[in-house]
Amino acid sequence: MKALKNLVKAREVPVFVALVLVVTVAGIANPSFISAIGARDILLGVAIVAILAVGQTFVIVMRHIDLSVGSLIGFTSFLIGDLYSQGYGLWAGLAAALSVGVLVGAINGFLVAYLRLPSLVVTLGALYVVRGIFNDYAFGRTITAAMVPPEVAWIGLNRIAGIPVLFLIGLVLVIVSGVIMRRVRAARDLYAIGSNPAAAELAGIPVARRIFSAFVINGAITGLAGAVMLGRFNAANANSGLSLELIVIAACVVGGVTIAGGSGSVWGAFLGAILLQAITRTIGALGIPQFWQQAFNGGLIILAIAFDKYLSGRTKATTIMGSKDE
Amino acid sequence: MARSSSSAGNSVLEMTHVAKAFGGVHALVDAGLILYPGEVHALLGENGAGKSTLLKTLAGVHRADAGVITLRGQDFLQGSTRDSIDQGIAVIYQEPSLFPDLSLAENVFVGRQIVSNGLVNWAAMEKASQGLFERLGVSLDPHAKARGISIADQQIVEIAKALSTDAKIIVMDEPTAALSSQEVDRLFTVVRNLRDQGSAVVFVSHRLDEVFALCDRMTVMRDGSTVGTSLISETSDSEVVRMMVGREVSELFPKLEPHIGDVVLQVKGMSLEGQFSDISFDVHAGEIFALAGLVGSGRSEVIRAIFGIDRYDEGVVTINGTKLPPGKPAVSMDNGIALVPEDRRQQGLFMASSIARNVAVTMLKKLSSWLLLRRKNEESTAAQWATTLQLKFAAIGDPVERLSGGNQQKVVLSKWLATEPKVLIVDEPTRGIDVGTKAEVHKLLSQKAQQGMAVIMVSSELPEVMGMADRIFVMREGEHRGTLTRAEASPEKIITLATGGVIAA
Amino acid sequence: MSRFSFSWDKGVGLFLIIAVVLGSMLSDNFANTSNLSFVLRDVTEFAIIALAMTFLIISGEIDLSVASTLNLSSASLGFLYRAGLPFEAAIIGGLLVGLACGLFNGYLVTRLGLPSLAVTIGTLALYRGLSFALLGNEPVNQLPEFWISLGYGRIPGTFIPWSTILLVVLAAIAWFILHNTRYGRWTFAIGVNAEAAKFSGIPVQRTKLALFAMTGLMSGVAGVVYTLRFASASPDGAVGYELSIIAAVLFGGVSIAGGVGTLWGVLAAVLSLGVIRSALQLAGFTANSLLIVSGGLLLISVIAPKITEGLRNRPGAGSKKNTKKTIREVGNE
Repeated sequence: MKALKNLVKAREVPVFVALVLVVTVAGIANPSFISAIGARDILLGVAIVAILAVGQTFVIVMRHIDLSVGSLIGFTSFLIGDLYSQGYGLWAGLAAALSVGVLVGAINGFLVAYLRLPSLVVTLGALYVVRGIFNDYAFGRTITAAMVPPEVAWIGLNRIAGIPVLFLIGLVLVIVSGVIMRRVRAARDLYAIGSNPAAAELAGIPVARRIFSAFVINGAITGLAGAVMLGRFNAANANSGLSLELIVIAACVVGGVTIAGGSGSVWGAFLGAILLQAITRTIGALGIPQFWQQAFNGGLIILAIAFDKYLSGRTKATTIMGSKDE
Repeated sequence: MARSSSSAGNSVLEMTHVAKAFGGVHALVDAGLILYPGEVHALLGENGAGKSTLLKTLAGVHRADAGVITLRGQDFLQGSTRDSIDQGIAVIYQEPSLFPDLSLAENVFVGRQIVSNGLVNWAAMEKASQGLFERLGVSLDPHAKARGISIADQQIVEIAKALSTDAKIIVMDEPTAALSSQEVDRLFTVVRNLRDQGSAVVFVSHRLDEVFALCDRMTVMRDGSTVGTSLISETSDSEVVRMMVGREVSELFPKLEPHIGDVVLQVKGMSLEGQFSDISFDVHAGEIFALAGLVGSGRSEVIRAIFGIDRYDEGVVTINGTKLPPGKPAVSMDNGIALVPEDRRQQGLFMASSIARNVAVTMLKKLSSWLLLRRKNEESTAAQWATTLQLKFAAIGDPVERLSGGNQQKVVLSKWLATEPKVLIVDEPTRGIDVGTKAEVHKLLSQKAQQGMAVIMVSSELPEVMGMADRIFVMREGEHRGTLTRAEASPEKIITLATGGVIAA
Repeated sequence: MSRFSFSWDKGVGLFLIIAVVLGSMLSDNFANTSNLSFVLRDVTEFAIIALAMTFLIISGEIDLSVASTLNLSSASLGFLYRAGLPFEAAIIGGLLVGLACGLFNGYLVTRLGLPSLAVTIGTLALYRGLSFALLGNEPVNQLPEFWISLGYGRIPGTFIPWSTILLVVLAAIAWFILHNTRYGRWTFAIGVNAEAAKFSGIPVQRTKLALFAMTGLMSGVAGVVYTLRFASASPDGAVGYELSIIAAVLFGGVSIAGGVGTLWGVLAAVLSLGVIRSALQLAGFTANSLLIVSGGLLLISVIAPKITEGLRNRPGAGSKKNTKKTIREVGNE
């Protein structure tokens, strides 16, 4: 019974409920929405953001942020296609994507963890610098369908048991990350660091090492996700991934991974990504012009943050005349 | 009381001739501490004496520049909090720092979660922490998140954490500052248990009555060095104070002849849900009006409401006949009220800002002509007050974080006295301050009262209340329990009222 | 504290001078009045918003939605004009929209208590989305000649653009308020310790609300200037501007943690960025290089203070001032 009670109180419940609501509303307005095709559409559209949101969770939970992911994934998706078209093969491309991701993550991680620079500023700078280097590297060229490695194209187009492979990749990532975040000691440290950074130092947690690792992991995930992006769009250019970081962070926040750090889960971030995508589709299903899309996303982020604040405010401190709630 | 075996060679910790400097500041000069298993050891000293630095060295936050530190005869691994924890040292800081988003069980085992087969075993952790809580005589739910639990409970969690690390040396820094007397009793029982089980407990406190009640031995520090150590049973209050201060301190509370005038401030029927209810009192010019009671009785909340930091739900506050709107500190200030807050660092000062800026911040409008505000005006005001209050500092442009606790409090007092208030409210005016400055502050308050200022003083230190107040308003759990005049007051009566009893007529 | 940012000021000022010198070396077309006029026009919108952003970041908050606000103001201006309003009225409309955006941000932060970083990411999307909703895909291009000439032209007989006058006036006012009035002191105090500010009688929430409103209004002003300069109101202008603005403010010596900064530093930083961009362009580098340079400057602006801080806290590196004072207690009192 207690387990059930705790489940109901979980941070992820509101997102899940919202998701169900949205799908219901959309389904009523436009029944084709709930069809297999409609669902598939959402799952396809969500894959990239979902994967990035999982990686971003590692960072946000520590009370940090990584704004460079959009530039990075754009770059690596281009890189994979570019290397393939030059004859280097799929694995070389993946290795390059991973290396670039790890490198960027390591630089970010070093500056934040060891030089103790604010992550907002560091990853903002990285966003610029990576995009700049990417632009120079791309030099106006585009990656076309012909330049996409067949394996990558395959994952973009195919389904297993009716579910898009892209989505399955994300799902596997979430499951594995979920277990790690819950059951691996080093991952639990991330929560401690986000919850009370000063106390984490005093408790003997190797804070700098953890922060560094989290950024590297996020970099690695983002780098490899370039393959997913390339598979999804079958193309890439200097604008790939532009502004993607904002949607990713929105997905996390909406999913209960609070900006203040210390709480939230990869499952929540995953659900948040799905919710955002569902809303996008819903807007279409309801016949609202696509122009309103961004406005809706913005409004949603604000609502999510406000709701998140309300949730944590409800379990506030005790007063001298007796405790309230928790 | 269990006797610790103090024969040489049996010690669990020996720190000798420890020195540590930060930049040009010598925090430790020749500090030492020797602990034996199974004792409660008091570490005493004024602010600036070096207690904190010594303990942080033990905790692994700092590395000593010189000196020898051995643990059961072995060299002590310095400079890493992880190493200190692994070597059996647990430190419970003045503000216990738990992780609000993590469960209590995880808080106990943070950084060292119980694993089986490489994965965290939640069930085992919850069971283990439950066991520890029971052992400490407290019923806490291991699943509950740490956010919002009382400071007393936070300390219990920290102690549970110490027990789970098998700590042989447990350091408690000012643990009773925020506890009610029941919670203090509970803590003392726990500490005595720890001692009986063979741990060495270091107890840092300014409250000598507690030290004498609980501890077996003591070490006194002054100006970065250890100046004495002895058995508690072989020393006395005044001896300890003399060692701490280095001179005889006779008159701690110079009370001047009061000239009490008309009512200046009236509080009628003030209530704030969850904090206090139906509070009414009058304060006269020239009077020192004390709000007494245990920690948590609502006194700070009352004065914050009067000043306007918090909005109250019901009631009226008038000053010289003018009704004050609730929740507007600026209006209260304009009408002559000043509040020296409880938490000096967090509420009273801008630590990184200069002394000048800190003193002048309440006076900005007066110091401006039209909109223009000149820095030299801020500086000259600050300099004047620094002289008046005998502030010890290097340059008026220095950040206040470089000052000692006592001098910092003088800065806060300056900033408020500069506004020439009719009603000066001070909340724990001498908390965490060395004995010498304490006397200066008391003298200052008395002088101001004699000059016609109405002073409202919140204090948890009975000697201070008894020595300073003309009238004492006793509160308990948000309610007014009784008022005593100076003549009729006694510590027993105050405590009786503060703990919920009544005084026989 | 103030001593340090003073020297950071000088550092940025020096940097500006070096940038100008390097620029003239890189290209012959750099150091003439025509180019200078170009640079001034280029930086005006950034600078105007940076003025307000300086106050905001010093007070401990941030606003990532400024570019979207600029854009929404511009879009509103176009929308109102296309709907038939006289241009002057449309300008006022655009300004009011900017103010409203700022007030909304301020409301979310001060009234609802939401963290400004996260919430302005939301309004960033919201405001830009609204621009699209207002104008659809069609920019408004037929703007009155008189106003366009103000946006683009110079004071007759000089190389100074009209918009620079506006900037100078606004900058002077901003400088005066920040460094020479109690409102400026309030801003710093709130940034250093908002709770202590409250306990000192400073109206923290009201001040922050005003700062957000001011930021929105300045974004609106920038939006009007932008529209006039490009002679067009479109739904997707000024993309990514917010990052350059924040980069300039931080490079100008304002600490992201709040409580520290000067207006001179920020102005010098904005000018530096403009100078560098111009120099790079004239020397044949792609506009892309500016991106990398901005990122680099941003990083330098945060790394450098850390290094100097580390040098100052070296063991043994004492300042004479400390030794004769009472012994400093590290940590607890």
